[in-house]
Amino acid sequence: MGDSAPNELARLRRERRLMLLQLLPVVLVLTVLFGGALVLGVMQSLGFAPWFGVNTFPDFSYFGVLWSQASFWQSLWLTLYYAVAATILSLILGILLALALVRTFPSKTLYKYLYKLPLMIPYTVGIALAVIMLGNGGMLSRLMAFAGLIDDPAQFPQILKTHMGWGIIAVYVWKQTPFVALTIYAVLLGVGRETEEAAAILGANKRQIFFLVTLPQILPGIISSTLIIFAFNIGAFEAPFILGGGFPDTLPVVAWRYFNDADYTLQLQGMATVVSIALIAGGILYSYLAIYRRYERRIGRQ
Amino acid sequence: MKKTLLTLSLLGGLVTSASYAQDVEAFRDAVTSGSATWEEIQARAKEEGEINLYYWGGSDQINIWMDRFAAPGLEAEGVKLNPVRITGTKDAVDLVLAELGSGKGLGEGSVDAIWVNGENFATLKRQNALFGAFADKLPNSANIEWNADDPRALLNLRDFGVETNASEMPWSGQQYVCSVNTARVAKEDIPSTFADLKGYLEANPGKFAYVKPPHFIGNTFVQAAIYAHNPDGNGAVPFQNSIDDLGAAELARLITPGMEYLKELDGLLLGASGSGARYPEDPSALNGLFLNGEIDFSCQFGLYGVAIGLRDGTYPEGAEQFIFPEGNMIKNKNYLVIPANAPNPAAALVMANYMASVEAQASKLEVAGMPPGIDPWRLSEEDVAKLTAASPGFVGITQQELDANTAPDTNATLVDVIEATWLEYIERKSTDPIDVIVERAVANLN
Repeated sequence: MGDSAPNELARLRRERRLMLLQLLPVVLVLTVLFGGALVLGVMQSLGFAPWFGVNTFPDFSYFGVLWSQASFWQSLWLTLYYAVAATILSLILGILLALALVRTFPSKTLYKYLYKLPLMIPYTVGIALAVIMLGNGGMLSRLMAFAGLIDDPAQFPQILKTHMGWGIIAVYVWKQTPFVALTIYAVLLGVGRETEEAAAILGANKRQIFFLVTLPQILPGIISSTLIIFAFNIGAFEAPFILGGGFPDTLPVVAWRYFNDADYTLQLQGMATVVSIALIAGGILYSYLAIYRRYERRIGRQ
Repeated sequence: MKKTLLTLSLLGGLVTSASYAQDVEAFRDAVTSGSATWEEIQARAKEEGEINLYYWGGSDQINIWMDRFAAPGLEAEGVKLNPVRITGTKDAVDLVLAELGSGKGLGEGSVDAIWVNGENFATLKRQNALFGAFADKLPNSANIEWNADDPRALLNLRDFGVETNASEMPWSGQQYVCSVNTARVAKEDIPSTFADLKGYLEANPGKFAYVKPPHFIGNTFVQAAIYAHNPDGNGAVPFQNSIDDLGAAELARLITPGMEYLKELDGLLLGASGSGARYPEDPSALNGLFLNGEIDFSCQFGLYGVAIGLRDGTYPEGAEQFIFPEGNMIKNKNYLVIPANAPNPAAALVMANYMASVEAQASKLEVAGMPPGIDPWRLSEEDVAKLTAASPGFVGITQQELDANTAPDTNATLVDVIEATWLEYIERKSTDPIDVIVERAVANLN
């Protein structure tokens, strides 16, 4: 008994060391690659770019110039509008899909493969599909012109390249609904149907079952999936660039335009835009999580 | 008991040879001073063995020409052409500057040559990123007019008003032309002045668009409108000066009528009746709108664009070019530049020489529809005949009409200011007067 305690201690130490080793690769990538880039990005947005002959660090004027433009706030509004609208739509469709999937219906096995298809297709391909199908020179407009419904493909109603962002939202929803459904479906499978059945036996109607039993159970899945898709939507570049309505652009496109300008000093302005996106997205996601944590504590989950 | 041993070792296997750096710099000095013989350059190029040419890869015809004609042509010289297709020339310029910034000098970079002109060349020059004067020292330099006393040499000596100092080889000459589908628009309705265009759009709103500045195709349209509305009536003349010579106030005065016109036009462009005028991002988007019948006229660089399009079947049969705007069809050249940190400078010189040969220029003209960058009056009659035979021809216009309506490019230092003014006044719909916007743009750019 005398030397079992030191042995135990040594074993614990070994395990600890092993765990640190397991964490090391991810920690290294996060601190060196991601953290390093973040620090450099923030420093550049504050006027540190000696390689372009600019070094006025720390200098908040790039943020000042950016935030005092009316167009920045228009762009922010558009960015948030596309991100939120697409997230909410994907969430509603995803929940409906997940609820349908736990039931049995004919050809369910096939359907379960089919709905995951957009998950495997890249966004760019989705965007290309939208251009080919929904554009003014697209299949739908040509078919309508061919059928004589419109005189000219150009008369087809404008779906893409408007500030309403139908095209952008459509691509996001097309790609993200299966993702939400997959996450929530996994939660639903883990929970099982017993509590719902119990509620039904106790006389709850469908509405009550959904809002009082199912929804609280799938809430963790809802939170994590919306968090991920919202974070993507707010920073996404390709869809608003290709399908957007031009000026005012979403913030990632604004940043790209600064980076792409022949005038190199504008890159610092672009970096300030990128940092602004990160701040705004971080703030929103943090508050979202904080509200959810408070809710969880209130209902007694830890 | 198991012992975990973790060893992280970083090996700095980078051996820098000081003698190599001296050698390659001595070679550069010999080339730029004219003391290197062509045989020496050729021998060195064979040793280097390959050349990385960075160029805009958005045209299938040019890509095909590079792979089927330029690559075998250079193979015969013992150099392997490695074409790097990029979406924007600025990417290559960025790469050169980033590598120079990280201390990679001559012989150590990754870009041997870039297809370039205008602002991108001006940037390279401003950042001291040029190999040096080579373009007038190669065998095929004889095909190009370098004599400053000849006014026709201007396009070889100045690139958007910036002196080239022979640090880039003229490769192709272009002119800004507009196309129309005569199956959709009656001949008498085709505009020849900006006033005609506005009149046409008032009758047919939304049937026109131009590429969005700061893309140079869009900038060129804006410049043509500014020339045509020059209050002094002398077109492009004052715009050959740099911003320092001209001054912000004078520039504002000269561009105001043109900007006012473009602002009025903005309300008549594609999409203006909906959520605001939609400017296509690049020439391929513009072409898509034109071919789809969404717009009636498409203006861009491409003297043989319609002829090639008709030949390949991508253009509708009624497509034609027309003279617009009268007297202000901007003409320029584009070039091949060798950056200061080219990894294979001798191979780049052999490539530049090949590109300026009559054979390469003729096949490029025939396959890709890119007009020659060499000057016909410097060539033998036989060679001129070769180029004429290779030309896809004009559709609806003649060389005489083109020559009669030529205008030069705008000085590169003014382009930045005009572009910033367009973004502010037209796109952002600023209510500030133009002189205030120009003043601000000039201050920001310095």
